[in-house]
Amino acid sequence: MSRLFSFHRMMVISSSTFTQLVRMKVFYFLVVFVLAILVAHFFKLPHTSGPESSAHEELRMLKNATIGAMSLFATIFAITGTALLIPKDIEDRTLYSILSKPVPRLDYLAGKLLGIISVIFVAMFAMDLVMTGALELRSNKVMNEVLTSAAQQGYDAEATEAARQEVLRHGSTWSLQAGVLALFLKTVILASLALFFSTFSTSTLFTVIMSFVVFFIGHIVGDIREYLELMNNGETSIGSSLTKAVGIIIPDFALFNVTDEAIAGKTIPLSAALRLTLIAVVYAALYTVISWFIFADKEF
Amino acid sequence: MNTAVEIHHLVKDFRTPMTRKPFRAVDDISLTIKTGEVYGLIGPNGSGKSTVMKALLGLVRPTSGSCQIFGNDSLRVDSRHEVGFLPENPYFYKHLSGEETLRFYGKLCGMRGKKLQTRIDELLELVSLDKARKRRLGGYSKGMLQRIGLAQALIQKPQLVILDEPTAGVDPIGSRQIRDLIFELRDQGITVFLCSHLLEQVQEVCDQVGIIFEGKMIKEGSLEELISVENQTEIILQDASPELIAQIEALASSEAQVIRSGKPRTTLERLFLTATQSNSSQPPS
Ligand SMILES: Nc1ncnc2c1ncn2[C@@H]1O[C@H](COP(=O)(O)OP(=O)(O)OP(=O)(O)O)[C@@H](O)[C@H]1O
Ligand SMILES: [Mg+2]
Repeated sequence: MSRLFSFHRMMVISSSTFTQLVRMKVFYFLVVFVLAILVAHFFKLPHTSGPESSAHEELRMLKNATIGAMSLFATIFAITGTALLIPKDIEDRTLYSILSKPVPRLDYLAGKLLGIISVIFVAMFAMDLVMTGALELRSNKVMNEVLTSAAQQGYDAEATEAARQEVLRHGSTWSLQAGVLALFLKTVILASLALFFSTFSTSTLFTVIMSFVVFFIGHIVGDIREYLELMNNGETSIGSSLTKAVGIIIPDFALFNVTDEAIAGKTIPLSAALRLTLIAVVYAALYTVISWFIFADKEF
Repeated sequence: MNTAVEIHHLVKDFRTPMTRKPFRAVDDISLTIKTGEVYGLIGPNGSGKSTVMKALLGLVRPTSGSCQIFGNDSLRVDSRHEVGFLPENPYFYKHLSGEETLRFYGKLCGMRGKKLQTRIDELLELVSLDKARKRRLGGYSKGMLQRIGLAQALIQKPQLVILDEPTAGVDPIGSRQIRDLIFELRDQGITVFLCSHLLEQVQEVCDQVGIIFEGKMIKEGSLEELISVENQTEIILQDASPELIAQIEALASSEAQVIRSGKPRTTLERLFLTATQSNSSQPPS
């Protein structure tokens, strides 16, 4: 008796997907990324006026640019990569030989998704390392400048400490890592969403467009809900229950905007990070299961 | 277990976007393949051979009827443990090398480690791709893909091998090798279900043959039965002197008509042509 789902088989599929994507040269993006960081590293804001004015602005810019690049890579890759993979297997008829082995369709889907997610994970991890390194170097430099300028301007101990804390807050912190995690979790949901669309769409383009549309709606779904709740004064109407339903199916991507807060130097509590992880896992699992329901009945 | 494959009144309709009426690709086909037999399915292009095979592998869902492999319904994943399938015009991940391809499929069957490696080496040898094992499939020729496809189908030593046009695109030597391989499989007691357009080959290797036309089974039976000519008799003599043969011929010609001495058999090819042509001359129902 074979089980409905086998971890081993899923890993075989996902590692093959990983190899496939690596051999499609997706990691070349990282080279471009590192070059961009290097350029950004040598780019310097003119700040001579005072310690608190624009010193950490430099750090913020560095974070903003690198996380922006990460986000761009992860979003595009999660959607187009996923949208391409399964249709490609169907078109190339590689799926015949895979599914004629004792491979349950759930294993296949979950394996594909996991393969893509692991590529995103590795890429983001590498980018995160580069960013952390660059930020570390840069914040040491900024710290020196700030402390020197503080001494010159005769700050007392308390004010110097405050300036020091300010720079540290904008350096590489755990909150920043949580921000990167939130970005990663967002792409996990996004990839599973694209997987869902690709199981029934007949073209890759449709999958890509639909995923972007839902991604966009997901960013404003929270606002819409709030607005409607205000309009209805808490009464339940068809409209509000409809948006509630939509709000459940479409994830509230705005929740993951903690990344921006992290870039701004705000602290992100561990509980928030855990909560986002839970949400992402639930959505990814939900979409995978729905995809499986559709895929299970598919003919090739 | 006595039967390897049991297809029971299989019907498959395909919904086509343009017309409202579904297209019936397979129309009430039943067939049974006993364990250890080599069964050949022949028929013109588009007659539904590949669709029957796909239904047997659970790749398409029967509109009605059922397919079973060693007693397991084809729609269950369990039924695929003992099956190897070579799709028509096989195509695999082109970023993998020949060896990696076999490893991938072996792992999907739950094989691993030394056992898998030994099997991979064995199969690469068998399909004469040993020299190309490190090359990516993107650079393989059509016949090489066919060979790696065959190796992939055999990776877990399945008890049933389903081959959709195994010799398409393979050179004459390769196609003899495949024929010999099928003999070898039969000697090992492995059931083979194949379809092919090369009728001499089907005639050579198959025990049972089914001819399918426009989704219907129009002739089925053991090869012997199908191609023997009913109202003729063959006498095979060993070490007969010319005088004896002259005597027999003289005796026979007084009682019956001697057509020729030799092999009084039709070929599968002739049978195929007469069967499909007599069917297509009928008005479509
Ligand atoms: N997915 C599908 N959608 C619609 N029609 C299909 C589909 N698959 C097969 N058909 C139709 O079913 C019929 C049988 O196809 P099938 O591939 O089984 O033929 P075949 O006997 O294998 O032919 P060939 O000798 O050319 O390989 C064809 O008319 C084909 O157009
Ligand atoms: Mg065919």
